[in-house]
Amino acid sequence: MRRELGMSVALALMCIALWVSNPDFLGQSNALNTARQISMLGIYAIGIGFVIIAGGIDLSIGSVIGLTGVLIAKISSTQPGGMGSPLWMGIVVALSAALLIGLGQGLLITRLKLQPFIVTLGGMLLIRGVSQTVVQGGTLSLGGSPLLGLANGGLLSLNGDPLVPYPLVIFLVVIGTATYFLHFTVFGRYVYAIGGNRDAAEYSGINVKKVETLTYVISAGLAGVAGVCYAAYIGQMSQQVGIAYELYAIAAAVLGGCSLRGGEGTVLGIIIGSAIMRVIDNGINMFQLHYRDEIGIPRIWRLNSNWTFVIIGSVILVAVVLDQVVHIVQAARRTRHAASAATAVPPPGLVSRP
Amino acid sequence: MSSSFPTSKLLVMRGITKRFPGVVALENVSLSLDAGEVLALMGENGAGKSTLMKILGGAHLPDEGEIFLGGTPVLLSGVREAKRLGIALIHQELMLAPNLDIAANIFLGNERPGGAPSLAMPLRRAEMNAKAAALMARVGLALAPTTPVSTLTAGQMQMVEIAKALSHSARVIIMDEPTSSLTAGESEQLFKIIRQLRTDGIGVIYISHRMGEVLDLADRITVLRDGRYVGDLGRAEANHEKIVAMMVGRELSKQYFPAKRDRAAGEPVMVVSDLVVPGAPEGVSFHAQRGEILGFAGLVGAGRTELMETIFGVTPALSGTMTVEGKPFFPMSPRDAIARGVFLAPEDRKRHGLVLPMSVAQNTSLPNVANYNRWGRLDRAMERRVAEAEVARLKTKTPSIHQKVVNLSGGNQQKVVLGKWLAMNPRVLILDEPTRGIDVGAKAEIYRHMAALADEGIAILMVSSDMEEIVGMSDRVVVLHERRIKGVLAREGLTQERIATLMTGRTEGDVAA
Repeated sequence: MRRELGMSVALALMCIALWVSNPDFLGQSNALNTARQISMLGIYAIGIGFVIIAGGIDLSIGSVIGLTGVLIAKISSTQPGGMGSPLWMGIVVALSAALLIGLGQGLLITRLKLQPFIVTLGGMLLIRGVSQTVVQGGTLSLGGSPLLGLANGGLLSLNGDPLVPYPLVIFLVVIGTATYFLHFTVFGRYVYAIGGNRDAAEYSGINVKKVETLTYVISAGLAGVAGVCYAAYIGQMSQQVGIAYELYAIAAAVLGGCSLRGGEGTVLGIIIGSAIMRVIDNGINMFQLHYRDEIGIPRIWRLNSNWTFVIIGSVILVAVVLDQVVHIVQAARRTRHAASAATAVPPPGLVSRP
Repeated sequence: MSSSFPTSKLLVMRGITKRFPGVVALENVSLSLDAGEVLALMGENGAGKSTLMKILGGAHLPDEGEIFLGGTPVLLSGVREAKRLGIALIHQELMLAPNLDIAANIFLGNERPGGAPSLAMPLRRAEMNAKAAALMARVGLALAPTTPVSTLTAGQMQMVEIAKALSHSARVIIMDEPTSSLTAGESEQLFKIIRQLRTDGIGVIYISHRMGEVLDLADRITVLRDGRYVGDLGRAEANHEKIVAMMVGRELSKQYFPAKRDRAAGEPVMVVSDLVVPGAPEGVSFHAQRGEILGFAGLVGAGRTELMETIFGVTPALSGTMTVEGKPFFPMSPRDAIARGVFLAPEDRKRHGLVLPMSVAQNTSLPNVANYNRWGRLDRAMERRVAEAEVARLKTKTPSIHQKVVNLSGGNQQKVVLGKWLAMNPRVLILDEPTRGIDVGAKAEIYRHMAALADEGIAILMVSSDMEEIVGMSDRVVVLHERRIKGVLAREGLTQERIATLMTGRTEGDVAA
């Protein structure tokens, strides 16, 4: 929980700093939008969390997010290029496709013993290509579709705007379910065991292949759910939607304490990691400093939004470096502890240390 | 073998044959086990012990043969099925998830009492912790069930494995080299528990290369050789020579260890003074002479490997001085040590000594590959020549120098490790457990090579947990206890008893008195 605690503190400090620099940060419209962004990222970050904790990796989820939206638009849009079928049909087909993609990749990885990186890299490119074929290189509009209400609407209303956007509602449901399954069921225990020592899990009689396959189904399935949200949010589906999203999810999971070696991480951590990613993104737009220039005219200094990736990348690196430094310091302290325990009463002068 | 086993036996394996592509791993092997019996299974590496046990554990299906458990024929179709039938296999490399706690590991795969758990089933942590505590008490593990496994010692992990076996009421428990990483105290504790299991009517199959503990513990010994059953020895008739003769198929010459020549007069090659190894309570001082084999004895945890890793620069010393051939030596990395002709053949040779998927030639050239160049290009001809020379010198059994070392036996892998250092003209050669996991025949060969190297003037530092090896090979012995030097014994009057006394932290006076 060390990582989760540190990251919560970092998140809180970041929010306070942003709020001080620009009170609009916590204004209703920005807070609502940030919550929506955190939710949509969090949904699929939790999905990939299952895969990462079991010691795998899934690079295809960005493409799955894109494909779900494209399929919904193709099937249910009444605009040119759409088939005009009911919305529910589009959603059902899109989510089924996502689950099948996860199942297929999971089976390839576990049954043929292929490397997850390669399989999902292939999946990423292939699915992206399918989306491109469906939209024929252009865009499909969801204009007029009731789906758009999913992103804009929500529960409870304040000043005409929803207080709890629907993506947040979905996120909360995902959090609850994922927490239950990852931390309180046999399935979750097996996910950790496989990530911690795959052989031990195998020799404990666990159906490792089934559990691993399920993690890829969960990952793709939640990417599908996030894809529905993004489709509603964007409204215009092109082949570009979802590109590199898997990397945001991996970053969020790692920031939240998942280890790519497997066996480590929590749902709470992934939530915090997702929030940090999105608050940084939003903060780059919101952060401002008021000052007066040399002739006394009040001016506002803002961050250049071209720096977004520089900042996000730096934050990830700083986080893992800090984590490792803490780790090394603790290990050194433990060694010293063990040494002093070995000598119950260290004779003075015998223990020489530089 | 007679074809009719009494069916009252707890376990009968009859006529087991297993073929792998290109090899017959087991041919018509039979074995039986009574309830409350400790059966030692012995044989050289490659004799088929682990294949037989993997069949019993459900990891392999036999091509031919039958297995009876309590008189009923069974089909051990998988790990889960074997477990369900009450067969528990404890692997040499312990199969625990370090990121989970003790209780979670004990019940891993067995979360629902009496049946396979469904994945969606909620974990009953409180219940599991309570049951784990009871099982842990049975194996003498006085820790909280919620202790993370990553913080346990090797001995404690072994106990967790046994508790795990007991948790699914195993009737047959197979232990593969259980003491290979245990301290003497932990081994004693293990033996006590094995005897308790015997009283409880559990059949134990015990695999070990350590003759002493086998003779001590086993009611009966079954010996395999080259995938075939050789014979059984009862407790009363078994002795060291008989077992070895059955294992190797000939009377091994009495001269197992090469005769010690007089190497006393060598000048010191390496002098270590007040060297403080990270984590050690105080500095250690000793010296190694030219052409000497200096043994390092001690229990696991005595700090022998740590000391060697410091001399080799893996974990640099905190303070103290060393010299090699009279010049100061203070390695900050293995690179520094190698540059001065100080080489280490590590304890875990597969992890630290070799790159398993690379060939014999590539492994041999690895530490020195920067010098194998010809106009900036890797000189493969030179690499081949050097590897061929080392393979010939050490008589390494390999189809060619292009064979991947992963395919070689333990003894030949160790020869590849030796070869890569010999190619670089060592001054000081550190051998950490040089014959661990190596079978009897290959051991004798390694010993001969060690003696020959010492004769050439190389100083050898040999860490070993095998007492016979320490006494048989060393010119002098440094005994460590809890990371301190407890004594240095000269060759005259070197006995296992004297070493053991110092190893366990007593001084020689205590015993004499």
